[in-house]
Amino acid sequence: MNFWEKMLNIDRRWIYLAIAIIVIVPFFARMGLPVVPTREVESIYNLVDSLGPEDAIFVGWDFDPGTEAENQPMGVAVLRHAFSRHVPVFITAYYPLGQALAQQAVGGIFDTRVPGNYAFVPWTEWESMRAAGFAGRDSLETAWTAAGHALPEGARGWVFEGVDYAFLGYQPSFYLVILGMGTSIASQYPTDTNGNPVPEMPILQAHKTLRDVDLAVTLAGSTTCMTWVIYGTSRVGLRVAFGVTAVMATDYFPYIQSGQIVGMMGGLRGAAEYEVLETQGGYTDVTGKAYRGMDVQSLAHIAIILMVVLGNIAFFAGGFNKKTALKARR
Amino acid sequence: MIALVGGVIMIIQYFVPHRISQDVFNYYTSWGPIVATFALILGVGSVTRVHMYKIRMKSTNWAYSLAVILPMFLMPVFALLPGSLLGGTDGPGFFDFMYSRVQIPIQATMFSMLAFYIASAAFRAFRAKSLLATVLLVAAVFVMLAQVPIGDLAGRWLPNTGQWILRFPNLAAKRAIELGVGFGMLATSLKIIFGVERGWLGGAGE
Repeated sequence: MNFWEKMLNIDRRWIYLAIAIIVIVPFFARMGLPVVPTREVESIYNLVDSLGPEDAIFVGWDFDPGTEAENQPMGVAVLRHAFSRHVPVFITAYYPLGQALAQQAVGGIFDTRVPGNYAFVPWTEWESMRAAGFAGRDSLETAWTAAGHALPEGARGWVFEGVDYAFLGYQPSFYLVILGMGTSIASQYPTDTNGNPVPEMPILQAHKTLRDVDLAVTLAGSTTCMTWVIYGTSRVGLRVAFGVTAVMATDYFPYIQSGQIVGMMGGLRGAAEYEVLETQGGYTDVTGKAYRGMDVQSLAHIAIILMVVLGNIAFFAGGFNKKTALKARR
Repeated sequence: MIALVGGVIMIIQYFVPHRISQDVFNYYTSWGPIVATFALILGVGSVTRVHMYKIRMKSTNWAYSLAVILPMFLMPVFALLPGSLLGGTDGPGFFDFMYSRVQIPIQATMFSMLAFYIASAAFRAFRAKSLLATVLLVAAVFVMLAQVPIGDLAGRWLPNTGQWILRFPNLAAKRAIELGVGFGMLATSLKIIFGVERGWLGGAGE
């Protein structure tokens, strides 16, 4: 067995070890490489950036834990952007597991022990102000702070349940739910995940159907994202943006060109681009998990390219392209 | 007959904006999730029957069937247990614990292992054996470098080339595939609605 053959027959556990080291090291030695946003992500960011308290968006947690590393930072970034601009957000989930991941995401954003997060006001806690008459978000916030509630140190603002945010959660046969929300959101979600009455919420009174919603961002690790296009865009003209895994991203470029989707965050890179845009826009002080993950992904991609190159050098230098087969490998 | 009537009504309804048509549609979308929920019971029953048979017969890998059945029935039981079992009085229950400490790490680990397999496969199998394979390999290198910021260090031309591959050649190929798949789905749907294709009713091969 010559050198090239030995190289091609290398025990695959060495390759696994190399990848493990390459993936772990950047967490301790940050590179901080610059991320340049693409137009596919910028178009989503610009659309959310143009919205305000009178508008509304849906964020669909349409993935399960398998793709959490890629999809979760996208959802967190979009939520932070929306909360900063007081754009009301409806949260839904295609899978039961997606609902739990969404709860983890909002739980992280509402943890005011971490600077830069948002103080959450549950629906039941501002009941007395509701009883006095709801007259818009600004007056609610004024009344809330006048009642002696101080914004925790480091927090960026308040998020009022039922005004800024409604956690609708999971429903079975979600494609039918999207169809149904085209005529009435309340008919599909009489209560939210906390059991609060959705039809009474100001967010719903201002946005009764999907026709009143400005954007749906679906975060998916499978073709479930297409459900929003098929039943939302084509039926009621809902604007949809995708946040999909990197391996899926290539499938959806035709939908961007045809105008069926507004834009797309592809993989961890897409989430990192959104985080960079948010930081540049002044909505966050520091970039998030996705941006930190780009160092790892950079080195992993370089390592895989090097392996492809080395594998090809060994293959051709050893003359294996002229032989029928290599000897047995482990 | 139910598929035929239901399918034709839903097609006609889509093109008729009259109130009666909308009422039919709303009625259907209200009933749909309810029917689907009961179908879930049917699904659980079917999965249980298949795996219980494997366990009873001690067929090959029957222990995996046990790994399916036990969590499927234990998780609803965990959901009913109070959070106080974990030490707190109003904290998350055992169900949340099992979800966040067992299910999420398992699924995330399974997906993460792909990185190791891809690296090994790239080294062993990604060869420039022919012109087409070389084109694929070069395109893959450009797209991979375009997806990470380290590619920008070589200059904007590199990520721009990767993005160009995604936005034009990739888009054209995907569109062709999607059109083919779309026409195929249309033909299959019509065959099901009009009863030409009945394989979904079961009994295939009988």
